[in-house]
Amino acid sequence: MRKFLIAAAVIVIAVLASIAATVGGALGPLFNGVRSLAEFYLLNVFNPHNQTLTAMSPEAVTSIVWDYRGLDTLFETVVFYMAIIGCVSLHRGIELIRKRSEAGLSRIVKTVTKILIPLNIVIAASIALHGHLTPGGGFQAGAAMAVAPIIVIVVFSRFFLLRKGVTKEVALSLRSMGLLGIALVALIPLIAWVTTGSAAYVMQNQVKADSSFSFPAYIGGSLVSGSLIWYNIFEFLAVTFGFTIVFLLLSVDEETVRKVLGGEEHE
Amino acid sequence: MVDLTMVLLAVFAGIALFFAYLAISERNLVRALIYSAVQSSAFAFIFYLLRAPDIVLVYVPISVGIYPAAILFLIRKTKEVEEP
Amino acid sequence: MSDVAIDLFLSNFILIAIIGTIGVSLYGIVAKPNLIKKIIALTIFTDTANVIAILIGFRRPPSVPPVFTGALTRPPTLEELRAFASSAVDPLPQALVLTAIVIGMAVNLLIIFITLQVFRLYGTVDMRRVRELRG
Repeated sequence: MRKFLIAAAVIVIAVLASIAATVGGALGPLFNGVRSLAEFYLLNVFNPHNQTLTAMSPEAVTSIVWDYRGLDTLFETVVFYMAIIGCVSLHRGIELIRKRSEAGLSRIVKTVTKILIPLNIVIAASIALHGHLTPGGGFQAGAAMAVAPIIVIVVFSRFFLLRKGVTKEVALSLRSMGLLGIALVALIPLIAWVTTGSAAYVMQNQVKADSSFSFPAYIGGSLVSGSLIWYNIFEFLAVTFGFTIVFLLLSVDEETVRKVLGGEEHE
Repeated sequence: MVDLTMVLLAVFAGIALFFAYLAISERNLVRALIYSAVQSSAFAFIFYLLRAPDIVLVYVPISVGIYPAAILFLIRKTKEVEEP
Repeated sequence: MSDVAIDLFLSNFILIAIIGTIGVSLYGIVAKPNLIKKIIALTIFTDTANVIAILIGFRRPPSVPPVFTGALTRPPTLEELRAFASSAVDPLPQALVLTAIVIGMAVNLLIIFITLQVFRLYGTVDMRRVRELRG
């Protein structure tokens, strides 16, 4: 109870301080318009009249993430890769054995989970595939999808996940496939440059002033925004299975780990 | 007329401060984690009010789902109560 | 009380509450000896930094999210685009924060694993004890 009182006192102090700041004229009003850079992005993000600057996607955030500031995101994906590799290498030598186990929560919870997991997968796939049209994208879909293995591990136990085929090796290879796909989509303009001879840039999406290379913005009449949909799909794979590996490793019981660690010490 | 967005932003910023203090001062780590998740929910509302649906989509599963789950695994494997 | 004064008060309260959250979480990172508590404080700190980044790019209501909601089957007219550009919020901080949250989560998971390793090797996650046991 005392903690709640102190926390309420903190809020009261914040209110008093803001009254003092208002009377004294310090700080000041928030939100006085946006910068001109934002206006540039918003005007050009889906602007077929300005072919050399547009990303052909109505979603400004995804366009900046994978087109205007694409290389930043590529390097952040590398950081993500390194962090997961760090987690895996801390658990090297630990084998995730498969065995039949009926552990877990009650039958009701398991049934409800069996209904909810497909819904979760559908929602995540929808977020990833519509990432260039509506709010969403590879990162969001991967984060939403990563909740599914956690729920399965908590409700069923990790043996269920392993029995269904989601082992560490499978997750690692699917994640590597996602990263490889990102690298491939980033390098396709270079391949086009080698084969056709016309200039192209790494991670290029639509035509530029001195390059006629362009990913198709429409496929069969529906908007796919060039390379954005491919980046979203591959990032979805990479993020989902990156988090899955981590939770598979986190759910290993301590006795197994200690046995492996102790074995290393005495060798 | 004062804008409703500003009022709600102020309310959720206050809630976030309240629960951030509780999360830091609580000695039981599981309770601290729950306070921290409530604080994250307040931030999710702030992101929604700031017209950032992309951030809400990524922030809700990560800060309210994945991160408390990971810390709960960690707490289960270590000690639940912080020593004074 | 005029509307301007109330608005100024609300702006100041939002700023002070966020600065207060940063102060509380920094206190948690620096002063709490428990590593798990430090991780909790660290995530609160990064989240607050992200809120500040988004706050900078906000535009006063009525404003819309940075997603163009006009017709997609035909090319939009320049008037539609200008109306969108003059009413939507700044997408750049949102794009930066989006990646920052996911990457920050992965790095936090690495920190969680290292904390687990510290517990396996030292039998405690209290930094004072770990210091005593070193060597």
